[in-house]
Parts: sequence; structure tokens; C-alpha cells
Amino acid sequence: MAAVLGLIIGVVIGVFVQPDIPVELQPYLPIMVVAALDALLGAARAYFQRSFSDKVFVISFFSNVITATLLVFLGNQLGVGSQLQTAVIVVLGIRIFTNVSSIRRFIFKG
Amino acid sequence: MLRHTNESPESPDVLTKLHSQIVKDQDNDSTETGSFPVIRRKPKRVSLNAKSTRARLYSSVLVTILCALLGFGYVIQLNNTKSTYETMSEDELTRLISETSSQVQKLEQRKSELTSQLNSLKDTADKNAKAAEIAKQNAESNGILSGRLPASGEGVVIRISQGQKQDIDASILFTLLEELRNSGAEVIEINDVRVITSTYISDTDDGLDCDGTILKAPFVIKAIGDSDNLQNAVNLAGGVGSRLEVKYGATVSVKASQDVEITATRSAPQYTYAHVIEQ
Repeated sequence: MAAVLGLIIGVVIGVFVQPDIPVELQPYLPIMVVAALDALLGAARAYFQRSFSDKVFVISFFSNVITATLLVFLGNQLGVGSQLQTAVIVVLGIRIFTNVSSIRRFIFKG
Repeated sequence: MLRHTNESPESPDVLTKLHSQIVKDQDNDSTETGSFPVIRRKPKRVSLNAKSTRARLYSSVLVTILCALLGFGYVIQLNNTKSTYETMSEDELTRLISETSSQVQKLEQRKSELTSQLNSLKDTADKNAKAAEIAKQNAESNGILSGRLPASGEGVVIRISQGQKQDIDASILFTLLEELRNSGAEVIEINDVRVITSTYISDTDDGLDCDGTILKAPFVIKAIGDSDNLQNAVNLAGGVGSRLEVKYGATVSVKASQDVEITATRSAPQYTYAHVIEQ
């Protein structure tokens, strides 16, 4: 409930405010969004497994985002930014799929 | 497990028997044998405790904030994807540049084509405007010449009264007109009759007939042209003016004016036989 509410609030703010994000942050924003999505889905899975903890959620959210950003930043420094970006996206995508599948199992098996 | 050891055979008392039986039953019904696991009742959850409520509120607020961050970033990225060249690879950027430059070339070409088209159209328009101007000038001069347009300008007004000795006839008026024409009169009018190329004056019984209109004395002749020349033409010694005065006994007054207005006009003649040669 709180998650859906928060998503809606964020989208509405984003639509109405439309801020200019700094240029240095621009290449990292999509990665950050995907990492945050992964954290959110992980939290949803934990919720269905009745092991949800807000501390773990917050920490995983920020550590996901920061790790992904740092990884891409490192890749940019080393000249393999796009490849590393792809790698991060792939890994996060796999995690998202795993989370979604276990959530689905919880929902449909009861 | 039944216990028979406590039973004493030497007590025949019924009450005692009963009592001992009850005690045995109770022993037998006891569940605390050690063979069944003892399940303790769950302690009731103290959910409406103040501390727990606060914690739950805190966590849901956190979840809300983080999800809001996620949604916010998502929407920004959505709005931003169109203009991010930062995330493009070198190949993509090179391709983009070459595409853009070829597009620019095409547009330049198109622009030059359109510019030349515009120039030719402008030339045509200029020519048309010039032609229209010339046509207008022609129309004006033709209109003045053929008497279709009223005219005004520098000129003279000549008044001739009826002759005392002799009626003024067509020939003397015709001579006067010729003199005026020779002196450069551009537009001439006699008594509200515009004089044009085909104008005639003839003697009739009723008087002078000028283009179908009977002229009566006094004759007022207006001419537009150089006023000095026109005056000289009339007042010349031995000229038309003196002949009118001497031979016909008429009084002739020539008045130069800066603004002679000739308002009499003629409708354009319909040419039946003459045709314009197209050049």
C-alpha cells in the first residue's frame, strides 16, 4: 500500500516538476532506476515471505543504487562504460526476474 | 500404565475402595506422561503497543519515500531519454553526425532551389509591375490625347465676342485652333466641346457646328500648354488675334492662367476598320 502510494506520488511529482538533472548524473540515472526497481521487488518478495524488514529494505535500496552507479562510473573511467552498463543491467534484470518469479509463486500457491 | 501396587487386599471398606479407585483414575487420566510434546500456548501478540505502531509507521513512511524516489527518477529519465547524447556510443554519435550533415546538405540544396525560384518569381513580378506602370502611363496620355480624361494645367483662356463687322466663321476658328496646336497646345476646348483629332467645325445656318454641337458667341477657348507660346500665337502681329479684331470686329481677350481646367470629355471612339498591329 505504502509502496504503491509512494510510486504514485513520485510519478506525479516527476511529471509536474520536471527538473533539470545535472549532466554528470545523466548517464547513471537509468541504472539507478533499474537498481531501485530491483530493490523494490526484493522487498516485495521479502514481504510475501514474511521476512520483510524496513532496515534491510533501505539498506538494500541504497546499496543497490550506489553499487550500480559506482560500477558504471568505474567502467566509464576505464573506457568500458557501455559494456559494464550492459553487464549491470543484465544482472539486475536477472535478479528482477528471479524476484518476480518467487513473488508469483507466493501469490499463486497461497 | 496401570498401577496395581498401591492396592491393598486387606481393606474391604467400600468407601476406601472407591476413594482409591478415583485416585487411580486420576492417575490414569493424567496427560503428563512425558510421551506427548507439551505445546505452550502462544503468548498473545502485543500488537497495539505504542512502540510497535510507531515502528510500523516509520517503515511505511520509509517505503513510501523510497518508492517515490524510484518513480521520480523513472519519470525524469522518461522525459530525458530523447536528448541524452551522453549515453550514446561513439559509433552511434558518428552515424548521427553523418546523418545530420547529409540532411543539412539536402536542406541547403532545397533552400537554394527555392531561392532561385523565388528570384525568378520576383523578376516576373517586377516585369509585370513595370508593364502595368507603362500601361497606366499610356492610358493617361492616350486618355488626354483622345479626350477621354479631364485635364488641368498651365494654359490660356481666350474669349472672342461675336464679330461686329462679320460673323465669325469656321475657317477663322479653325485657323485659331491650328495656331494653338502649332504652339504646343496639348488639350483644347471650345465652349465645353473637347477638341480632339477628329474635331471639325463647319458653318451652318444656325451658327457654327462643332462636332454636332452648335457654338454660340462668345466663344471661350481653353488651351493647356506653355502659356507664353499660346499667348504669342494669338497676339502675334498680323496673326489670328489681330485678324479677328480687324476683319471681324470682334474683341479678343487672352488670359494666361496657371490652372486651366478642361472638364469636357469624349467617349472613346469605336474603331471599325482600324486594327492594331500586334508586334
